[in-house]
Amino acid sequence: MAEILKLLTRNMGHANSTNVDAYMASGGYDPLLTALHKMSPEQVLNEVKASNLKGRGGAGFPAGLKWSFLPKGKEKVKYLVCNADESEPGTFKDRLLIENDPHAVLEGIILAGFATQSAGCFFYIRGEMPQGARIFQRAVDQAYERGFLGRNILGSGFDFDVYVSRGAGAYICGEETALMNSLEGKRGEPRLKPPFPAGYGVYGQPSNINNVETYANVPLIVKNGGAWYAGIGAPSAPGPRLYGISGHVKKPGVYELPSGVSLRELIYEHAGGILGDRPLKAVIPGGSSVPVLRADQIDVGMDPDGLKTVGSMVGSAGVIVMNDTVCMVRAILNLAQFYAHESCGQCTPCREGTVWMRKIIARIEAGEGRPGDVDLLDEVAGNIMGRTICPLGDAAAMPVQSFVKQFRAEFEAHITEGRCPMAHTRMTVAV
Amino acid sequence: MALIRIDDREIEAKDGDSLLRVCLNHGIPVPYYCWHPALSVVGQCRMCLVGVKGAPKPLTACSTLVSSLPPDKKIDGKYDMVVDTKSPAVKKDQRGIMEFLLLNHPLDCPICDQAGECELQEYSYTYGHSASRFEFEKEHAPKRVDIGPHVVYDAERCIKCTRCIRFCNEITGTGELTLVERGVHTYVGSFPGRDLDNDYSVCTVDICPVGALTSREFRFKQRVWFLTSGNSVCQDCARGCSVRVDTYKGEVLRLVPRDNPQVNGPWMCDYGRLVSERLKEMNVVAQPKVAAGGRPQSLPWSAFAKVLDDRMAPFKGDGAKDLALLWSGRMTLEEMAAAKRLSAAFFGGLAGAAPKVCHGGDDNVLIRKERRPNLKGAALMGIPVTEENAPISELLKGKRAVLIVREDVVGDAEYAEKESLKKTLGTMDLVIVADYALTETAALAHLFIPLAGWHEMEGTVVNFQGVAQKMARAVVPPRDRKTFYEAVSLLLKAAGAEVPEPTFLAWHAEVKAAVPGLKNVTIRDLLPNGVKLGGAP
Repeated sequence: MAEILKLLTRNMGHANSTNVDAYMASGGYDPLLTALHKMSPEQVLNEVKASNLKGRGGAGFPAGLKWSFLPKGKEKVKYLVCNADESEPGTFKDRLLIENDPHAVLEGIILAGFATQSAGCFFYIRGEMPQGARIFQRAVDQAYERGFLGRNILGSGFDFDVYVSRGAGAYICGEETALMNSLEGKRGEPRLKPPFPAGYGVYGQPSNINNVETYANVPLIVKNGGAWYAGIGAPSAPGPRLYGISGHVKKPGVYELPSGVSLRELIYEHAGGILGDRPLKAVIPGGSSVPVLRADQIDVGMDPDGLKTVGSMVGSAGVIVMNDTVCMVRAILNLAQFYAHESCGQCTPCREGTVWMRKIIARIEAGEGRPGDVDLLDEVAGNIMGRTICPLGDAAAMPVQSFVKQFRAEFEAHITEGRCPMAHTRMTVAV
Repeated sequence: MALIRIDDREIEAKDGDSLLRVCLNHGIPVPYYCWHPALSVVGQCRMCLVGVKGAPKPLTACSTLVSSLPPDKKIDGKYDMVVDTKSPAVKKDQRGIMEFLLLNHPLDCPICDQAGECELQEYSYTYGHSASRFEFEKEHAPKRVDIGPHVVYDAERCIKCTRCIRFCNEITGTGELTLVERGVHTYVGSFPGRDLDNDYSVCTVDICPVGALTSREFRFKQRVWFLTSGNSVCQDCARGCSVRVDTYKGEVLRLVPRDNPQVNGPWMCDYGRLVSERLKEMNVVAQPKVAAGGRPQSLPWSAFAKVLDDRMAPFKGDGAKDLALLWSGRMTLEEMAAAKRLSAAFFGGLAGAAPKVCHGGDDNVLIRKERRPNLKGAALMGIPVTEENAPISELLKGKRAVLIVREDVVGDAEYAEKESLKKTLGTMDLVIVADYALTETAALAHLFIPLAGWHEMEGTVVNFQGVAQKMARAVVPPRDRKTFYEAVSLLLKAAGAEVPEPTFLAWHAEVKAAVPGLKNVTIRDLLPNGVKLGGAP
């Protein structure tokens, strides 16, 4: 059984963990000092590349490679963006970091800024996290007071600023270019790519955007070295990982474990098993957008390679567990409702298709489904998949396709019986 | 340059050009809604999805740029791109998008003004399903929204292509419109307290690919397939936008800009376009009029020609010094040529001038402060042009008679000038007005010659850039309402002079002889976009 790690969560549970003094007392900002005085920006970048740190927002893109896409030198003003618009259903790890260890995130941001020689960072936090925004703003203020931000940081000649910006609570604004539009005060609609943010990002400047957890890993890498980091967990996406587990488990919460931990172990050992000791029915392993798994598919590692073997993805590592009381049609209806509500409406397949899927699923769940509805649903999802401007279309279509594929009989039963066969059960936890 | 293969054709294309533009330029049909050649690319409708070799997903042709590959990486050894626009996979994508677009569309074609020129209809027929698989209540959205004084919006028909929004942002720079709400509830709205009220607002109706934006003036007037059209040139400023005049049973129902890159692009201003409304309010007559004892009397042309000859008699020969001639930048080159003959017959040379009428200023889109469409043509014909807004009464000083062609000098004058003009004209022995409508000036005329309206005649005009365009006839006028060159032919012929036949072609030959720049320009060159005259300043 894998040990619970205390790397990203090293300061959690300590008194005043959000305070700069407490953070510094536990060795915080030492990596920054080391980097600024003993390392060149290239060295920091090379350590991050060597660590093979993969983005923690969902797509899993190598962070060091992403940073190196930014133009070199200081001729162009470059910006970093920290994506704290955590709104994927089933995902709640970034909030934990922001609210309990903001300085770790901030230090990671400053290190990334140093490595890429950026002018500043926009910290875009979800509107529904006012407490996180307050805590992070205070951390930023404290960092300015101590000279970790501003002009000539710690006498190194490096200037860097951080601005906290609150979103208005749209899921789409977690998409990197929609986030940038929202940040600039425009409608939160994804931009057409190319140009990619590394060439044309916030306010038209070259920009790099990473997830909160990704930045929080950077001080660990600078402190212990890329090689050390690359040795933790699964080699294809190494490092400690915050697994958020929710739904029908006895001990839901965020667990820091080495990447590649077995899904079965995560559910049955760390999260204490299934609520009510009932049989497991389904697991969504990486936030609501990734394909769902059946109970017999959980003997896989929670890393990209492991989940690929069962046709799913690690995504944001938000694990949603469902026991045998859950109606899968009702569960996907919940998700379909979410995506239909959150579609920005910019491009046709997502705007129209998400609502159509919701209507078909609602009809099946209500016992009014017609023969052929399941195939129709699958085809509509297929027509959205890969045909939209941004990944929201895919995120809406993938779960639908996977629910149909994995639990087709249950969909068909709704139609043939003309009712929800699980109508007598109650979902104890909303999915 | 890149060599690309589109389906089974090999095409040379410029690097950085949009794939959609390349396809359209080579006659390869790719359906699209949100893309517009004059607006920015947003890739929102997803209708132009094509297969590009090497891309994991179908790509929108509008936002995919042609790019060269290094020599060792060419596809099949020679291609920079291999594109597929008609495989079953692409057809399936097109069908899928069409189906999505029509899900919540009301399909109210029988009462929709766009029917017949609707891209939803066209693509649905070519690329879509014949039946809907959507068995739910459609989403409802605001209908009949008065989004501006000339434009009505229907959010249910709207496919959210944002062409109208981009037009207001990028062309007029007024930015009245935005998307409101999100997801399937998205609709186009104007910002609070603002209407879609700019000088070009009806262009949004032109570029709306569906029936979401309709023109208040044209909606419900006529099904478009019943319209007959003529290609003409707008007469309301020196720009001379290329227009298509849509008519039904002799009535002009609307003007639509014709895409003419060297003059107006795909746009035209609302003022010019809404001449269709002003035409309705004009007092137009079919026969010449003689003011006899205060009460105007209509005469057939044959009888009128005699009256005209009699009344003009005192101003022949030495009497010509008492006669003034007022030209107009609204006359076509052919009419000017005719007026030159007339001038020669009476004065033995050129006399009079065309007033240069200006309002406001030039804008940065199309509108010119100079309001006459053919003053440049007048200059090319050697006809004197007055100073900007010069008082007309100066030109009439000391004259006892005047011939005014296509100018409402009284109606267009400022108050003080108006009074003095009225007084001058009121004391004259003979005032002859030749115009399309009974204007304020015509009300003071002793003889009124009804002229064919700009939409009723053929002619050539030269805009401020020196672009000569030919106007075609959109409506056939009544027999006695003639162009000025026809009238001159008839009058001078009756007087025994040698004149060109009363036809456009005959007088156009005369124009070609007078304007060096037109010498080698054929009638075909003047259509449909006109030609920039060589040596035109």
